[in-house]
Amino acid sequence: MRAGRGASAWAAGLTTAAALAGVMTMAPAVLRGEVLAQRLDWLPLLGLSFSLRLDGLGLLFAGLILGIGLLVIIYARFYLSARDPMGRFFTFLLLFQGSMLGIVLSDNILLLAVFWELTSLSSFLLIGFWSHLPAGRQGARMALAVTGAGGLALLGGFLLLGRIAGSFELSVILTKAAEVQASPLYLPCLILILLGAFTKSAQFPFQFWLPQAMAAPTPVSAYLHSATMVKAGIFLMARLWPVLAGTPEWFAIVTTTGLITMLLGAWVALFKDDLKAMLAYSTVSHLGLITLLLGLGTKAALLAAVFHILNHASFKAALFLSAGIVDHEAGTRKIPRLGGLARLMPLTFVVATLAALAMAGLPPLNGFLSKEMLLEEAAQTTFAGSEWVLAVLVTLGAAVSAGYSFRLIGAVFLGPVRQDYPSKPHDPGLGMSGPVLLLVALVLAIGLAPMLVAGGLMQAAVQASAGGPVEVYIKLWHGLQTPALWMSVAAIGGGLLCVGALPRLQAIDRTLSLPEAKVIFDRTIAALTQAARAVTRITSDTALSRAVLLILATFAVLAAVAFATGTHTAGTRPSTRLELAPAVLWLGVALPTIAVTLMYRDRLLALILMGGVGLMISVGFAYLAAPDLALTQISVEVVTVLLLLLALNILPKTAPPEPAARRWRDAGLAGVAGLGMAALAYALLTRNAAFDPISAFHLAQSKPGAGGNNAVNTIIVDFRAFDTYGEIIVLGIAALVIAAVGYPLRRSIKPIAPASADAHPVIFGVAARLLLPIAMMVGVYLFLRGHNLPGGGFVAGLVFAIAMMLQYLAEGEERTFARQRVPYLALMGAGVVIATATGMAAWAFGKPYLTSWFGYVTLPPLDKFELATASLFDLGVFLCVLGSVLAMLHALSRITKRVG
Amino acid sequence: MEALVATAIGLLTASGVYLALRPRSFEVILGMSLMSYAVNLFLFATGRLAPGLPPIISSTATGYTDPLPQALVLTAIVISFGMTAVLVMLAVGAYLQSGSDAVDPEDRQE
Amino acid sequence: MTPAVVAPILLPALLAAMMLLFARQNLAVQRVMSLAGTSGLIVLAIYLSGLGEPQAYHLGNWPAPFGIVLVADRLSALMLLLVAGLAAVVALHVVATGLDRQGASFHPLFQFQLMGLNGAFLTGDAFTLFVFFEVLLIASYGLAVHGGGAERLRAGVRYVATNLVGSALFLIGLGVIYGVTGTLNLADLAVKVASLPPSDHALIRVAAVMLLVVFALKAALVPLHFWLPGTYANTSPAVAALFAVMTKVGAYALLRFGTLIFPPGTAATQSLWPDILLPAALITLIVGSLGILGSQSLGRLTAFAAIASMGTLLIALSGFTPQATTAGLYYLIHSTLAIAALFLIADLIDARGGDEQPGGATLPQSGLLACVFFAVAIAVAGMPPLSGFLGKLLILQARWDQATLVWPAILITSLVAVIGLARTGSLLFWKTPGEAASSPNPLTFAAPVLLLAALLAMTVFAGPLTDALARTADALHDPATYIAAQQVQP
Repeated sequence: MRAGRGASAWAAGLTTAAALAGVMTMAPAVLRGEVLAQRLDWLPLLGLSFSLRLDGLGLLFAGLILGIGLLVIIYARFYLSARDPMGRFFTFLLLFQGSMLGIVLSDNILLLAVFWELTSLSSFLLIGFWSHLPAGRQGARMALAVTGAGGLALLGGFLLLGRIAGSFELSVILTKAAEVQASPLYLPCLILILLGAFTKSAQFPFQFWLPQAMAAPTPVSAYLHSATMVKAGIFLMARLWPVLAGTPEWFAIVTTTGLITMLLGAWVALFKDDLKAMLAYSTVSHLGLITLLLGLGTKAALLAAVFHILNHASFKAALFLSAGIVDHEAGTRKIPRLGGLARLMPLTFVVATLAALAMAGLPPLNGFLSKEMLLEEAAQTTFAGSEWVLAVLVTLGAAVSAGYSFRLIGAVFLGPVRQDYPSKPHDPGLGMSGPVLLLVALVLAIGLAPMLVAGGLMQAAVQASAGGPVEVYIKLWHGLQTPALWMSVAAIGGGLLCVGALPRLQAIDRTLSLPEAKVIFDRTIAALTQAARAVTRITSDTALSRAVLLILATFAVLAAVAFATGTHTAGTRPSTRLELAPAVLWLGVALPTIAVTLMYRDRLLALILMGGVGLMISVGFAYLAAPDLALTQISVEVVTVLLLLLALNILPKTAPPEPAARRWRDAGLAGVAGLGMAALAYALLTRNAAFDPISAFHLAQSKPGAGGNNAVNTIIVDFRAFDTYGEIIVLGIAALVIAAVGYPLRRSIKPIAPASADAHPVIFGVAARLLLPIAMMVGVYLFLRGHNLPGGGFVAGLVFAIAMMLQYLAEGEERTFARQRVPYLALMGAGVVIATATGMAAWAFGKPYLTSWFGYVTLPPLDKFELATASLFDLGVFLCVLGSVLAMLHALSRITKRVG
Repeated sequence: MEALVATAIGLLTASGVYLALRPRSFEVILGMSLMSYAVNLFLFATGRLAPGLPPIISSTATGYTDPLPQALVLTAIVISFGMTAVLVMLAVGAYLQSGSDAVDPEDRQE
Repeated sequence: MTPAVVAPILLPALLAAMMLLFARQNLAVQRVMSLAGTSGLIVLAIYLSGLGEPQAYHLGNWPAPFGIVLVADRLSALMLLLVAGLAAVVALHVVATGLDRQGASFHPLFQFQLMGLNGAFLTGDAFTLFVFFEVLLIASYGLAVHGGGAERLRAGVRYVATNLVGSALFLIGLGVIYGVTGTLNLADLAVKVASLPPSDHALIRVAAVMLLVVFALKAALVPLHFWLPGTYANTSPAVAALFAVMTKVGAYALLRFGTLIFPPGTAATQSLWPDILLPAALITLIVGSLGILGSQSLGRLTAFAAIASMGTLLIALSGFTPQATTAGLYYLIHSTLAIAALFLIADLIDARGGDEQPGGATLPQSGLLACVFFAVAIAVAGMPPLSGFLGKLLILQARWDQATLVWPAILITSLVAVIGLARTGSLLFWKTPGEAASSPNPLTFAAPVLLLAALLAMTVFAGPLTDALARTADALHDPATYIAAQQVQP
């Protein structure tokens, strides 16, 4: 176990160190002003390529990401307890680190968006690392939701930007400032991109997710919330500064947002009792500060912003790590329970105090330098029509910043030693204190000798960001004339005042009662989820009738609109004369149909009526010159009715009543459907086709090409045999499904005594038995004559099957099926194989599948008769139909046997 | 006669739709069957009416009705039959397993 | 004319028939045949993809349009490959988890289902399309109720009945088409509809709407989507994974008919289809995404994710331009694989004893399961680095013409989906502290991991893939080659 922990930490640490070393080797070139680039094609159709660039800005951020990352890895190795899965932690951390690096090194904005979302995903995993804490889970999800939303907005903005600039490559976009700012899409593009930046960097009004993310382990917070993730938005604004900045819109939005965030964050931080929470809000505030500077739009402000990025990262990381140390050693992060730690943890006291004073902006620390530059810029900017508004507000912000910094030092370290710490506070080992020491050393070094330590880097970074040469000159002492100095003094004084007047200020804060953003967010998500649940419920378990209704209604509406918007001329086909016979047939169809509609509740009656309708239709087909159809219709009708009778044996024989409203509603829709269909049919019946139908070919070729006089049959087994092939397979599958569903049902039914004493009258049985061979002969006859006269494989198979069904009805299951050992599904399979193989025989002759052949054969003593491969195909059809119908019958009969 | 056929189709459709919208499985099956009659008739009707002129090639015939829609209807009849049979089996199975022949989850027969 | 065009239809049919004849009780033989069959289909599909020009196959040696023609163009080959690949993975999963033991005749039904799918993609005749729709539907009925159970059977009744209505509409539409134009062959229809006299325009428009409704029903577009959540959530997840490709049949048909027979420039129909499809697709996307957030179980969530992905797909395809079609095809492949993967993961979570209801029973911690779920969720939500993100980018760019509607819809619904998936993932995997679970059978993870690997490959090789798809799309929007391929006399 211990080996595992160490190993993963080593792996992570070495990876980061190697990457850092790699970046360092490229640093000299970059510091000289070169831009290193690398490009790999990824999705040219989209304009997305895997392009990387390393310039000064990228170097600064890469250094921060990798450098602080390395320190965090070392710290985490000692901070996390034995129960935390280290391997998983470091994997997530490295994932995150890689994604952040991707953002700062991307030379293609779509690629940047990819990495942007990756950081959202990996930070989700990191924040939720202690998944057993509800705060961890919720914090992670809130972060994902907010930054995810921002990421999607960013994507939209980038797509617009790429469209305006004509390319997604940054190197191209950065040269197109004029076009971008002149475009009508500039404002939407700007807003979307800023949305992305502000959500990521927790600017107002999106700042609420950051403190929730404090549920993560401290090293995570240190990394994400001081050095890297939240800086991504800042980075983006700095990166796109040459293209987007400088316009009044940019100034208005960015500066205002930064200002509000800075003030708001500082004010809230002042009163927080949890160390990490205070640091979180102070991060928000400082990010607001940097945003403000970026908004100002001058190169000097840009320099101040970039400089503060470096400084803030160093002292904030140090502070977070120190807070972690205090938490780890003293056992609590709650300020009211701390105090007097200076004597017990002297090393921690020194480093934390230095970092906190840098945060407050005291010389000779690095925070002072960047604060000075901020104040200087603020003093020179006109904001909201006034020259001094900004200066005053910024000074106020600085004062409150100083205030909470002083409070931190005072409340945690100063004062008397307490007796009631949760655990014994002491300075930690080198593993945890080392990184903090390094960071604070940096803070001091930059503060004392800024140009020496950071000058070159600043030069390169600012020039990269500004897209042009910038003069960089940072020094500690500017002289007494500068307003910045006096503002600094005022700020420090104000800060001390804050600490002193804390209780009174707290009272003011309570009366202000700002709406808690977290609560608003939670409520919004909850409302959204409720709405979603409602939609889901409606959509899910819908009644069949509603689904059918919607299908028909949708079609009706669309068809009506489509018809009305098209041109229509009534057909001119002469109508056929009305005779008596068809009129009677019509009555024979219409009356039972109406009867069924009215009397469906008696199911047996309804079934009989429906059978009658089918019978009439069959006669109608015969009248209308469709003899094959008539035969098929009647045989299918018989089988269907028989099947339904079997089913009715099991199902209830009557239907319960229904509310009238529902019936009227359904009748209305049914009426509309009927009218529509009738109109459509009439329109077609009374017109000729616009072109010659293809069936002219079939009629002409039926005898010469396919060898049969029955044009319908030749179409079925020859011209369009493939459709028939599919059709018999449908039947076969139906049998398969019925068998698969039906056989297991037998086991779940208890046998019931039969209703009638004489279930199988003998005379019925004898008659059926006599009928069977006759029916079989009829079937064979129909099969053989099918090619030239009405008949064919289908009808033959159905006739056979009907005969067997009659026998079953007469004699019952045992007698009918016990004699047969034939597995019906196998019979069906054989039919499919024969049909398939017949088609394949054509391949032997180099012809496509299902090419038929026919010829005349003379076999003494028989007369010349015709042989056609289509008959073989028909045989396959016959077997398949027979096997399928019998299989269905058998399956259903097994159930009915048990039930009744 | 065209009007006869058209109105027959309309009646069958209306009846079929009405029954298919009922809450119990047997009526749904009946409704689907009626609808398939209507559709088959409709499909057949697209070949237009030519009573007395069956599509059997012979030297004495004066004309033929369109054989293609008939072939299509044949296929459709068999396919509908297969579907109906499956529907019946599922309905019976659902009834046996749950004691209710209601089609919808909420409409349970007590 | 190469018999490789008809082989993808005959092979599964023969395999199924042989299983019924010789191996009805022998599950082991059936498994071998099934796996071998799907591998064979993959080989066939790859072969057909490499052919380039559309290949016509005149069945029965009759000339088009009098006989039935099969046409294997790039789009057909793409769909065949997608089905074959998915089928192979699902077959592997079914064998590994033993789903085929739970009822009878799984493998014959499975093979017949593949036959129906392949037939639908290869046919060049409208009525044959109907027949193969029925084949794939009825096989799916069998698969959907595999394993039995009252709720499953009842949901099956609703599924069958809904599709019967759809089939009826399809037949009526075909009737109108034949009645007006006199032909059923797709290429012939393209020519005839384009030159239809104005007196018949209204009728053909009605037929076009009918076909649109039928295909949209298959594709589960709102308001015709009601069958999907019930069916998918009630059937076993592995079967649902295969069903992920069935909605794509609807998309395929819309694309085929919409580029060949009813393209936006046609006098009779003009922009009838795009005008209806785009709003429907937008609403479908919204409903599906809300469903992801509002679902109380993983199975239902996945069903709604399927609906949402169909919405996104149809947003792309309803553009009917080569660029939009390319984006749509890329997203089609992605969404099929991603949704299938999510179903398979749901199956594993189900089997692991973790109640599908989040917040229900505790789920023994399994790092691998959580990891795979996370990756699949990223794919489904369309987040980087997987192909869903690239797909959405392509679609956003392609639909610039309707950007004010499409961009907010896609971006906001992506967020809703992310929130929903994060919530479910958190409830399933984070809410309970874990004891180490018994080590899972690694073979059961093979299928989802394979799908994930495919998605990853789609991401990395997006460039070459989109180039190939662009060629497919260009061919689609130039129907002359498709039509010409059939004039070759057999």
